[in-house]
Amino acid sequence: MNALMAWLDNRTGYKSLMHEALYERVPGGARWRYVWGSTLVFTFVLQVITGFMLWSAYSPSTRTAWESVYYIQNEMTLGYLIRGVHHFAAQAMVVLMAIHLVQVIIDGAYKAPREINFWLGMVLMMIVLGLSLTGYLLPWDQKGYYATQVTTNIMSLTPVAGAEVQTLAQGGNQYGHMTLTRFFAMHAGILPALLVAFLALHIYCFRRHGLTVHDENHAPETSFWPDQVLKDAIACLAVLAVVLLFAIFKGAELSAPADAAVKFDAARPEWYFLFLFRFLRFHAVESIGLVWGAIVLPGVIMGVIALMPLTHKFLGEFGHTLNKAFIWLLGAAIVVLTAMAFIEDRNDIDHQAALAEAHRDGGRAVELASGPDRIPVDGAVGMLRRDPFTQGPRLFAKHCSSCHRYNGHDGRGMLVTEKKKVAPPTASDLGNFGSREWMRSIVVDYAAHLSPLKNAGWFKDAKAKEEAGEDVTYLNPDESEMADWSGYPESLLSDENSENLDALVEFLYSEANPGYIPADVKEREEWVNALAANEQLAAKGRAVATEGAWAGDLEGTSCADCHTTIGEDFVAVSDDDADGYPTMAKYGSAKWLTDFIRNPGAPRHYGAKNEMPAYPPQQLTDEDLNLLVRWLTHDYLPSDVPDYPSRLGDLPSAGDAAADSNEADEDATEGQDLEENAGEEATEQE
Amino acid sequence: MGDTNSPDTSAPAETPSDAELSSGSESRRNALVSVLTGFLSFVIVAIPSFLAGAFYLDPILRRKKSGGAAGGGALDGFIKLDATTDSLPDDGTPVAVTVKSTLDDAWNRFKDVPVGSVWLRKQPDGSVIAFNSICPHLGCSVNYRRSDDDFFCPCHTSSFDLDGTKTNEVPPRNMDELEIITATDGEPGKDGKELWLKFQNFRGATEQKIPV
Repeated sequence: MNALMAWLDNRTGYKSLMHEALYERVPGGARWRYVWGSTLVFTFVLQVITGFMLWSAYSPSTRTAWESVYYIQNEMTLGYLIRGVHHFAAQAMVVLMAIHLVQVIIDGAYKAPREINFWLGMVLMMIVLGLSLTGYLLPWDQKGYYATQVTTNIMSLTPVAGAEVQTLAQGGNQYGHMTLTRFFAMHAGILPALLVAFLALHIYCFRRHGLTVHDENHAPETSFWPDQVLKDAIACLAVLAVVLLFAIFKGAELSAPADAAVKFDAARPEWYFLFLFRFLRFHAVESIGLVWGAIVLPGVIMGVIALMPLTHKFLGEFGHTLNKAFIWLLGAAIVVLTAMAFIEDRNDIDHQAALAEAHRDGGRAVELASGPDRIPVDGAVGMLRRDPFTQGPRLFAKHCSSCHRYNGHDGRGMLVTEKKKVAPPTASDLGNFGSREWMRSIVVDYAAHLSPLKNAGWFKDAKAKEEAGEDVTYLNPDESEMADWSGYPESLLSDENSENLDALVEFLYSEANPGYIPADVKEREEWVNALAANEQLAAKGRAVATEGAWAGDLEGTSCADCHTTIGEDFVAVSDDDADGYPTMAKYGSAKWLTDFIRNPGAPRHYGAKNEMPAYPPQQLTDEDLNLLVRWLTHDYLPSDVPDYPSRLGDLPSAGDAAADSNEADEDATEGQDLEENAGEEATEQE
Repeated sequence: MGDTNSPDTSAPAETPSDAELSSGSESRRNALVSVLTGFLSFVIVAIPSFLAGAFYLDPILRRKKSGGAAGGGALDGFIKLDATTDSLPDDGTPVAVTVKSTLDDAWNRFKDVPVGSVWLRKQPDGSVIAFNSICPHLGCSVNYRRSDDDFFCPCHTSSFDLDGTKTNEVPPRNMDELEIITATDGEPGKDGKELWLKFQNFRGATEQKIPV
C-alpha cells in the first residue's frame, strides 16, 4: 500500500498538495469566526449537486418549464427535497455571503495586501446574486415571472444600451421560450463556470496571504487540519441541517404557471431583495427618477464597498472605522427596510388577498396536473384557463359582484367597497347557489331569500313611486305570490309536512344536478359524485312538486300550479309559450343558468319584473359563460385547495345598509352609487 | 487567454562585442516569433469568441415582428375584441378585456391565445378609449380601484386617474393608450359597435412610449 502511495506521489506530487492544502498556519488557534468562507464553499457544492439533479429533469420552455418543475416537485423520488434544498441553500448562500462580507470588513481582511482578493469576493457576490436572479424565473410560475419582469425592466434603465441589455436578457422583445433557454444557460452554465473560476482565484489569493488573524494571542498557533477543519465541518453541518429542515417542513413554493394575460398582484422579489423593493416604493425615491433608485444608488453602495481598501490606505485606521460604520449602517438600513416591507405586506388587505389567490391558483394547478387528465399538450396554462374553479371566481368578480356576492365576497375573497365603505349586496348571495339550503330558503322563506334586492336603488325608486300612487311593475320580495305561498310557515314547517318538504328540497336539488362527472367513460364507472342527490327522496319530492302531495293547509297546492314546466327538461320556451311565472324546469342546472344569464328578462324567467342586465356574448363570451356556469354548478374536478373564507360576517347589516342608503339618498343626484349604475346601465339592449 | 506571451529571453548577459550579429538576429527572430505567436493565439481565440458573441446577440440582430391579427385594409394589424361599445358601462367605469391574438414564440405559433389585457372605458361622448393594463413603471398589472375610482398598481403603488394620467411620481409616464377603432362588420365607422384594437406592449420605465 505504502509503495503504491509512494508511486502515486512520485507521479503526481499529491502529498505536497495535500500538505499545502491542510497545513496552513492558523495563528491564535482555530476559531468559529473563520468558518464563513468554508460554509459558502460547502453551500455552493450543495447547489452544484442538487442543481445537476434538477437539470436532469428540467425542461426550459414556456410549455414545459412549470410542468417539469411540477413533476420534480410532486412526482419524482425525493424531488421536493432536492428542489427544496436547492431553493433554501440558495437563500442560505445569500445570508452566509452577507455574514462573510461583514466579517471581512470588521476584521480588516480587505486591507492591503488583500485588496485584490476583496474585489474578487465582490465579483463572486455579483455572480451569486445573478444566480439567484436567473434561478427565480426558471420554474416559470407567476411569482418568478412577474418578479423577473420587474428586474428586466430595471435592466432597460441601464444607461446607453438599456433596451439592448433588456432584449438580450429576455432573448427577444418579450418573454417566451428564449427567455427561459437563456436564463437557464446563464443559471446552469455560464454563471457557475464563472463562479468556479473566480472561487479558485479567491481561494488562491486567500492562501497566498493567509488568514487575517483576529487575535494572535487568543490561543497557541495551530494548523488548518484538523482543528479548524473540524469547526468548519460542524458549521457546514449546521447549515445543511437548517436547509434540510426548511426543505422538509416548508418546501419550495410553486405558484400557478406563468400567464402574461393573468394579472398577478402579489409579485414580490425574493426576500433578500425586499429592501431594494421597499426602497423603490418611497415616492421620494421615485421622484428623483427610477434610474437613481434602482441602478445608481445600488451601484454607489457597491462602489463604496469596493473602495474600502483605498479608504483605509488613504485615511488609515480612521478609514477602517468609517468602513465599519458604513457596513453597519447599511446593514441596519437593510434590516429596517426589509422589516417595513414585511409588515406593510402583512397589513395590506389587497396584497394578502392577492397572495391567497396565488396560493389557491398554485394549489389548483398542482391538483389538476395530478388529476385524471394530467397536463394537456398546451401546458398547465391552458389547463388553468379551462378550469371553472380557477376562472369562475374571476369572472364572477368581474361581471356579477357589483350586485351579487359569493359568501359575502366578490368571488375572489375581497369585500366589495363603495366610497371606502363595504357596499351592501343588491342581489342574492350566490355562495350556496343550487344547494339544498338555497332551494329550501326559496321554498320556505322567499322574502328573506330575495331581501338583498331591497338595498338596490331601483327598488327604492320603485317603492317610492308605488307609495306615491303610481303603477309600477317591480319585484318586491315581500309582496309576491311566491312570498305569499312561502308565508305559510305554520303549515310548511309543520311536522306533518317536514318529510314532504325535505323531499321537495331534494327533488329541486336533484334537478339542479350539481357536481362533476368525468368525461372519460372508464373513469365515470368508478367516479362518485359527492354532490349527487338522493334519488329515492327526490322521486318522492317530484310528486310533491308536480302533484301537490302536501298535508294540512297546503293540501292540493303544487308548484306546478304556477310553474307549469317544473320537473320537465329545460327548454328555452318562446315568450308566447311562457306561463307568466319563472320557469322551474331544471331550475339551477347548467342549462337553465346559461339561458338565464343570457336572458334574465325573458318572460320564461323574470319577465317585466327583471332588473338583472342580460349578458350577451359580446359581454360574456360563450367560453366564459360556460366556465362561470360550471363553477356555480360545481362542475369541475373537486378541489381540496382551501377556498376563500366566507365574508358573510363582514357585510353591513340591513340597518347599516338603510343608514347608508339614507345618506346616499340625501346626496344622490345621479344614482345612489356606482355599482347600481353599473348593474343597471351596463346593457340596454337595442 | 490569448495574450501575447513574450518568450522568456533572460539569457546570460552578453557583451555587445560578443556575437553581436547572432544575438541581433536571434533577438529579431525572437521578436518575430513572439508577434506571430501572439497573433495566432489571438486569432484562434477570437474566431470562436466572435461566433459565440454573434450568436448570443441574436435577439438584437434579428428583430422579429411579433404576430398580430392579419386583417385587411384599414383594420390591418387590428384585433377584434369580444367587447362592443354597447357592452361597456355608460358611466365610464373601466372594464378589463382579455386580448386574444396569434402569438409567435420562437418555434411556436400559438393561435387565438391571450396575449394581454386592456382597460376599456366609454367616454361621455360615447367613444371608447383603451389602455394597456401593463404598468408603464416596471411591468406589473394595473388594477381598477373601485374605492378610489382610479387605476392602481399594487407592485410599486403607481396610480393614474381614469383617463390614464399619472397621479403620483411613481410611474414615468401616463398609462399606455392603445389605438382603438369602432367598426361595423369590419368596416371602420364612427357609429360602429365593434371594437378593433391595435394591441402593443411598450417598454417599461421610460418616459416615452417605445413599442417593444
